[in-house]
Amino acid sequence: MTETKPAPTLLGAGVDRVDGLSKVRGEAPFPSDVTYPRLAHAALVRSTIAAGRISRITTRAAEEAPGVLAVITHQNMPRLERGPATLIGPSPVSPLQDDQVFHHGQYVAVVVAESLQQASAAAELVDVEYEVAAGVFDLDDPRGELRVDPWGSGARRGDVEGALASAEVTFEASYSTAANTNNPIGLFTTVAAWEGDTLTLHDSTQWTANVRTTIAALFGLPEESVRVHAPFLGGGFGAGLRVWPHAVIAAVAAQVTGRPVKLELTRPQMFTGIGYRPATEQTVRLGALRTGQLVALQHHATIAIGIVDENPEPVTLISQSAYACPNVDVRDDERRLNIPPPGPLRAPGAAQGTFALESALDELSYKLGMDPLELRLRNYAEVDAHSGLPWSSNALRDCYAVGAERFGWAQRNPEVGSMREDSWQIGYGVASLSYHWWQVRCEARATIGRDGTAFVRSAANDIGTGTRTVMTQLSAELLGLGLSDVRFDLGDSTMPWSPAAGGSGLTTSLGVAVDDACRSLRGKFLELAVQGPGSPLAGCSSDDVVVSGGRLHRKDDPGVGESYAEVLARHGLDELSADGLGAPPDPAQTGLALSPPFAAKFAEVRIDADLGILRVARLLTVVDAGRILNEKLARSQIVGGTIGGIGQALFEETSFDPGTGRIANATFGDYLIPVSADVGDVDVAFVGQPDPLTPVGTKGVGELGLPGTAAAIANAVYHATGRRLRSLPIAIEQLY
Amino acid sequence: MKIVVALRVNEAAARLSLDGPETLLDALRDQMGLEGTKKGCDQGACGACTVLLDGKRVLSCLTLAAQCDGHEVTTVEGLAPDGGVHPVQAAFIRHDAFQCGYCTPGQIMSAVALLDEGRAGSDEEIREFMSGNLCRCAAYPNIVAAIRDVAGEVASHGADSGV
Repeated sequence: MTETKPAPTLLGAGVDRVDGLSKVRGEAPFPSDVTYPRLAHAALVRSTIAAGRISRITTRAAEEAPGVLAVITHQNMPRLERGPATLIGPSPVSPLQDDQVFHHGQYVAVVVAESLQQASAAAELVDVEYEVAAGVFDLDDPRGELRVDPWGSGARRGDVEGALASAEVTFEASYSTAANTNNPIGLFTTVAAWEGDTLTLHDSTQWTANVRTTIAALFGLPEESVRVHAPFLGGGFGAGLRVWPHAVIAAVAAQVTGRPVKLELTRPQMFTGIGYRPATEQTVRLGALRTGQLVALQHHATIAIGIVDENPEPVTLISQSAYACPNVDVRDDERRLNIPPPGPLRAPGAAQGTFALESALDELSYKLGMDPLELRLRNYAEVDAHSGLPWSSNALRDCYAVGAERFGWAQRNPEVGSMREDSWQIGYGVASLSYHWWQVRCEARATIGRDGTAFVRSAANDIGTGTRTVMTQLSAELLGLGLSDVRFDLGDSTMPWSPAAGGSGLTTSLGVAVDDACRSLRGKFLELAVQGPGSPLAGCSSDDVVVSGGRLHRKDDPGVGESYAEVLARHGLDELSADGLGAPPDPAQTGLALSPPFAAKFAEVRIDADLGILRVARLLTVVDAGRILNEKLARSQIVGGTIGGIGQALFEETSFDPGTGRIANATFGDYLIPVSADVGDVDVAFVGQPDPLTPVGTKGVGELGLPGTAAAIANAVYHATGRRLRSLPIAIEQLY
Repeated sequence: MKIVVALRVNEAAARLSLDGPETLLDALRDQMGLEGTKKGCDQGACGACTVLLDGKRVLSCLTLAAQCDGHEVTTVEGLAPDGGVHPVQAAFIRHDAFQCGYCTPGQIMSAVALLDEGRAGSDEEIREFMSGNLCRCAAYPNIVAAIRDVAGEVASHGADSGV
């Protein structure tokens, strides 16, 4: 069978979201919307110290409060192992296992009651006494255990010290980034319901299959006995990639009470219980020739981590391969602090690392007297430094060129502080981004039934990125069906296994599995179509037949053929299904490096020198993400991530009280995220070609919005004012 | 002793039996099954729970249900009854003015009120008067475009648009 040509109305172009109507009507069921008969509610009690132990915990008053069904503390909590390691690192430590306290806000008890109001009121009655120990909260504090390169992710090539000693120009600076909290608007919720030894969970997760595996392991159940539903998630931004303690507590609470239990985190609990981007301190050393060619690049980071959890945060990874440089030394160290366990948040590691690397490049450009965009162009990496292989696709130079043209980079006066308009100082800044490649094994299943429509599914999650929509488009294209004749379903652990929605990896991983399933299903139909009495395609070979409009027909005579429904009817079948498996390509076979997506970021800032107002007037991101399945939705993702970058640059800082380790701003009133009035013109353009290593041709979009945005803004602030700001977020007082 | 409150919700009479401290948000979601209205902070800081009270936008998490006796509440479920689609809802889909969709009902209720307030005269005005509704997916530019689009329809069609 020949390839079905993509119908231009289905692919690339901006099809509206297939689940849009349910969202604008408020009908999309988020985990917090799930209810059961006899549903009980849980409220958590959190530690009010950051280090020490619980010396006494008194629950009697809470147990006797109206409506209370159970109070669970470390004294009566079942003993649980730690969950199994996953594709993206270790599981969080299981909750309520002993009297030890490692951070402010750690769960010390849960109250289950008939109503949320009763549970919350009774939670206030749990009396906890502590033995307080000295906490460590500062990345510079030597009392905190320093873990040197704990993940073995450090890398060296060449001789950095030698190259720095002989470089014509050298540059060195330190940078820091504050902790940032994910803060999806949807409160993370787990609804747990047992029926005998079978557990159903409705969970705020980005990885349905992992919740099933982890909970099954913790409770000693076969995986089939745990069913996880997550059709919709009210935002996660990485927080839904791990099975956090509250989900485990909800399952235990339901088991103990014999009732379905809903556990919805409060906004303050969203700051301490589901991870967040850890603070970093970084040092970058660069050596270059006068031509701008880099000869040495050293990038070291120290990253905050909790006392007992782990969190792989690849801050300096991007510096290994972002630029052509013969001598490179990168390393991520961690310091253990009495802080809530960090976790992934939008482009983990790259968000912090790109700020330091791209700020340093900008600083070097001024030292060289060279246009910062030109400096990046001169250090374009022709091959992938990890593998030494040529890129499977890399349109980074197009990102620079198209971006410069679209942004009007030529209008930039290179002199610092030279551009003004009335009282506004104007600055232009640029940053480059080479993200990580990420694709893992994934499964899907496609079915066409007697009515001629298709049902394609996988346990994957649509976290708002548009997975449901683009996979519907992809399936429709592959099966030669209209969009309305394809239903793509996901978010159910009984469906074929899928990796997480995260790391810009799902669309390719899942897309390849869907591609395989749909091609295989087409093949099965073709076999049947040429067989049996009455087949209009009898004798045709696969080369003679194409699929379109829900029909298999002769390529040279579209009138000769039959519909999927007719094929099934003629063979007396109700439906036909095929399984698809997507596996990552093997560079050893292709001879090409697995290419990540690339981007260039351009920023214009305006600073009112008299009033101290800093406005991000314009942001442009030019993206090479391979094939774009739906331009409208891909654009939304980049715009959203870019605005998240405005938050990282200007507003967001999770503040730990230096005395107690309590988060001092754990509300939306105090922790500022961008609002509509903070956002100026946010532009996006796509360049490049479909990546040849997979049949789908995608490289991932989601993570390209945020990283690099803060660097482009900080670089623009320097251009406008001559003030180099090396710590995030940029505060107004730093501008004077 | 229970407090009994009689109100109208989405143009239908409703009675609530309350202990007292229940917010309008919890009463809508837990007692009336109107789960389209979302809880994002329960502190009046995110706008996800925005509903119309007598036609004006309010934060239902900061409104006690017991205060609503004799009042008219409109939630996202009441915008376009009988399976219809309100022009603001249609514009949100057309302009992809959301991603995860969680803050969306609150954004839409706020946008409907904003148009009624006559605050959609310019992008700057829309941005300013929609800034009480947080969107962490940051669909803000598309939200502004959607509202601008409907404001344009209103300007050109007047009352015919049904907004």
